[in-house]
Amino acid sequence: MKNIEVKICSGTTCFVMGSSFLSELYEIIPQKYGDRVTVKPSLCLGQCSNSDKHSKAPYVKIDEEYISEATIEKVLNILDKKVCGNE
Amino acid sequence: MFIDIGCSQKKKYNQNAYGDYFISKRYKDTGRVIAILSDGLGSGIKANILASMTATMLLKFIEAQSDIRVACETIMNSLPVCKVRKISYSTFSAIDCDEDGNAKIVEEGNPQFLWIKNNEIQEPEYKVITSKTFTNRHMHLYKINLEKGDRIIFCSDGVTQAALGTKELHLGLRREGLIEIVLNKLKEEPDISSDDLTRYIVKQVEIIEPDHKLKDDTSVACLYFRDPRRAMVFTGPPYDMEQDNLYATSFYNFNGKKAIAGGTTANLVARELNLEIQPDTNLNVGKLPGISYMKGIDLVTEGILTLTKTAEYLETGVAKDDAAGKLMNFLLDSDEIKFMVGAKLNQAHYNPNLPVEIEIRKNVIKKISNLLEDKYTKKVDVRFV
Ligand code: FES
Repeated sequence: MKNIEVKICSGTTCFVMGSSFLSELYEIIPQKYGDRVTVKPSLCLGQCSNSDKHSKAPYVKIDEEYISEATIEKVLNILDKKVCGNE
Repeated sequence: MFIDIGCSQKKKYNQNAYGDYFISKRYKDTGRVIAILSDGLGSGIKANILASMTATMLLKFIEAQSDIRVACETIMNSLPVCKVRKISYSTFSAIDCDEDGNAKIVEEGNPQFLWIKNNEIQEPEYKVITSKTFTNRHMHLYKINLEKGDRIIFCSDGVTQAALGTKELHLGLRREGLIEIVLNKLKEEPDISSDDLTRYIVKQVEIIEPDHKLKDDTSVACLYFRDPRRAMVFTGPPYDMEQDNLYATSFYNFNGKKAIAGGTTANLVARELNLEIQPDTNLNVGKLPGISYMKGIDLVTEGILTLTKTAEYLETGVAKDDAAGKLMNFLLDSDEIKFMVGAKLNQAHYNPNLPVEIEIRKNVIKKISNLLEDKYTKKVDVRFV
């Protein structure tokens, strides 16, 4: 079983766009998934200068995938699926 | 040498204005420093006006004259006399010195200053100059050479006369008492900064006063000659991307403390020098992003939000224990600060979706550097790359 890595961006853009509300994930994720998922903060993930209009901060990176307009629910949904798929 | 200047003051009990006034100015290009402590007659607002007028005028005079003696004589001869008490309106101590340790000191009416070298009091010779207009006014003129580690301490008579008339200190603290307080503290903490030392002395004075109520305005100013504590702040990616490696390397090899303010800058340094960045989750609460750790770098923070907050903290003098508070302490713990400011526009901040108005980096740095120079008497150098 592969460990899933979650990185929450706390760069300037993501931060002002609300990434601080995601900080609860630092508690929720280990509680919910134990050591199957690791979560850590990250400096600018480089997505905010993306000119794609449909993509907005705050960003979270789950393994190789970038989640835009990340919310706690959105991240947990994706993790739920991934964790099930992994098993 | 660097001249570390500090001053601490407390008002007379129950007064709402300081009757002593301290002013200092550092001249970046020549390494010259002028500092003046003036004590206005009486206390409260009247004394405050007298003292601040004397000190600011004296500063302007010394600045304009090449000779401190002429400047001080002019002031001594023209200070008015209080009609009731028949003594002059204000007394003063002034020093004009440079980073090579050449110093001229003039005192008129204030307690004699302390010169400390190797934790011993020096007793320099002086010349007495009597006023031509008021023969009861004399000033003492000293010409001395200071070396690394030397300290000069000025105080108002609120210090030397503290606890006057009490059972324990019938004649007040006096110069001897002050010397004891200072030398003991220096034995304990030989490298203490001027700010901390002056604050400590004022605190001690307050402690020995009955009921801890100061009977007079109490001011202590200190000049400490020592090696400068150097620091560098790297903020913003450089304009010319090709030079990233050069700037990262020169920053990393800087001889002094180092801070990075900016995620993109931190990423750049990490990339160019193969370092790892470890963001800290702990401080990531409230209104500012947290700090990160990088080997060999003393502090890594986010950029523009943190800098803006730091400027605010420096302005008000009160800080929280967040990333900006840490950056403020980093700056205040240094004497010579270099800012390496990348001039590349950060695309991220032109995002029209940003809900807050973000001042651009240059302006914030300008504000911080002005505050550090004017309010905290640091030596600041800003370089755009
Ligand atoms: S600040 Fe989050 S991707 Fe740039």
